[in-house]
Amino acid sequence: MRNLLCFILIPLLGCLTYGQNKQILYDFGDIPQSLLVNPATIMDQDYHVGIPFLSQVSFHFGSSGVSAYDIFGKSNVDINTRIRNVIYGLDKYDFFSVNQQLEILSFGWKNSKGIYYSGGIYEELDVFTYFPKDWAILAWEGNSEHIGRNFHFNDISVTAELLSVFHFGANKRINEKLTLGARAKIYSSIAHARSTDNEGVFKTVEVEGSDNIYIHRIINADVTVQTSGIQSLSDAGSGAAVANEMLSRVFLGGNLGLGVDLGATYQIKDNLIATASLIDIGAVFHTKDAESYEAKGNHNLDGIELLFPALSDGESAYDYYNDIEDNFENDIPVDTINSSYTQFRPLKVNASIKYGFGKKQNSKVCDCLNKDKGEDWREEVGLQLFAIKRPKKPQFAYTAYYKRRFGDFLIGKLTYTIDQYSATNVGMGLSTNYNWFNFYVAVDNILKYPNVAKAKNVSLQLGFNLKIDKNE
Amino acid sequence: MNKPIYLLFWSVLIMVCFTSCVKDTDFDQADDIVLSPVLELDFIYFTLDQSDYFNPNTGEQRLIVTDTTDFEILNESFVRDDLKRAEYLFKLENSAPISFLTEFRFLNENDEVVYEVAIPISAGSIAAPVLTEHIENIENQGILELTLASKVVVNVIIPSSFENIEGALNLQSKTTYFFEI
Repeated sequence: MRNLLCFILIPLLGCLTYGQNKQILYDFGDIPQSLLVNPATIMDQDYHVGIPFLSQVSFHFGSSGVSAYDIFGKSNVDINTRIRNVIYGLDKYDFFSVNQQLEILSFGWKNSKGIYYSGGIYEELDVFTYFPKDWAILAWEGNSEHIGRNFHFNDISVTAELLSVFHFGANKRINEKLTLGARAKIYSSIAHARSTDNEGVFKTVEVEGSDNIYIHRIINADVTVQTSGIQSLSDAGSGAAVANEMLSRVFLGGNLGLGVDLGATYQIKDNLIATASLIDIGAVFHTKDAESYEAKGNHNLDGIELLFPALSDGESAYDYYNDIEDNFENDIPVDTINSSYTQFRPLKVNASIKYGFGKKQNSKVCDCLNKDKGEDWREEVGLQLFAIKRPKKPQFAYTAYYKRRFGDFLIGKLTYTIDQYSATNVGMGLSTNYNWFNFYVAVDNILKYPNVAKAKNVSLQLGFNLKIDKNE
Repeated sequence: MNKPIYLLFWSVLIMVCFTSCVKDTDFDQADDIVLSPVLELDFIYFTLDQSDYFNPNTGEQRLIVTDTTDFEILNESFVRDDLKRAEYLFKLENSAPISFLTEFRFLNENDEVVYEVAIPISAGSIAAPVLTEHIENIENQGILELTLASKVVVNVIIPSSFENIEGALNLQSKTTYFFEI
């Protein structure tokens, strides 16, 4: 039972550098869901149908700079010292990420002209926050040891969204070398919140000649929190009402958006193929149930100045304390805004180049399925690039891989991914076919599997499909 | 591939997956995590000069100059629960030629004194002001009493009547709050 819990839970607790990088799934033509990372991925089968709710289950949890072991590892060093070391070891570009996808529906077919159409519905949760280093230090240590230090509001940068995606796409071999793919998407937002691009600082300073010992300053603050779909859920009351409302939003009842995925596969030589894709070029338009909060301004606080007025009998004392609160609210009012806003989805870019070698896999008499497109090399090696736009700066990951077919039964892909935080991420993907039945699983950071607590990059994707060929 | 081999392959793979686990960690250490921020916050400040010692309405001397402020932060639940120590620093500079007694009385909602600090101030002069620094360290039972307070009364007491006071009494103060959360 313990191992079972570990197997299920630890990938969830583990740490993932790039929540949406699916380097194992990318260009893995044996798996229909690879169309979601490149709509131009060449499909071998004539039809596919995903097992509803099980065709893609995907979890990514983690952070860029800290593992569970860094905090909870058995050690003679006090845990509070370790947490302090972690806080100081991370920087403001380190981040924590949660990404989960559940495919509800998936299908595809190839028509007589060789165009492969595919579509489906999936649900996605994406939470991303940079490490708010200044505020973590303030919470952990206070300001006593940091007199004069700027605590930047810019360190607070967080986005969270839950949405469903309806999509339909197609790919077509344009000529001998080029295959193009595109996918249209309708986003239905269930809930969204973000606080990014904040400005200003808080600081405590000693100023010679000032009225009191310190001045606590908030300078040029401009902090915004945008939310959509949350207020009505909190007003909905009972759990059942909330569930009903969320379910209606899954099926296009939420704030809607539009997007496209684009992809291309180009056969440079018989055994040399380049691919690229742009995923989620689009936006969600939050017009319903949008509520934003904005705080702007400057404020100085230097304590309570007593004036010692001579009071007559019955006259009440001056309300210094409320004055401080009122002055703060006047200087930095929190405005609630009910205007709509547009949220661009995080754009993902993938690119790869691969080289096929070894025997050709397809030794059947009929070559009508693979059509000698290079997909049928038994072995291949390749390089992949992944980038994603995040609030402060884009993030990149570089992958080298080796892929091999073992008959019709099994295809394996071994990946090695490097990024600025991890140089030891080895992943593995396996796709198996038994009659019409296809099962695939992809895991990251398998070198850390003996002790996942030490991993900073762990992800898990798996799914079940039916793949049907007319000729079988 | 035939079915038995297919099933065998996946059985082995799943077994391998099940061998993955967490080692050398102790999540019970979470109980030992303590946030211990130390916050520096300004407290009260004032400047009293000659004009403050006379009632502007009657012209009479005021031998006790007093003022009161709410100070509800001490009564907040997170302060009551998590404040372990408070250290008040009072810096008083007296350039007046008389001595004073300053009192800082912390009152609860029923105006009962729950904690009190008294600081005697020696006479000074404009040419040579006297600087008095007082640190009031409050912990244990004192913290329990202090965190009942919601008001502060400040009394500046002049021991005897006077003719003329030149110079001023100036106060700057801050509090260092030691939390364990």
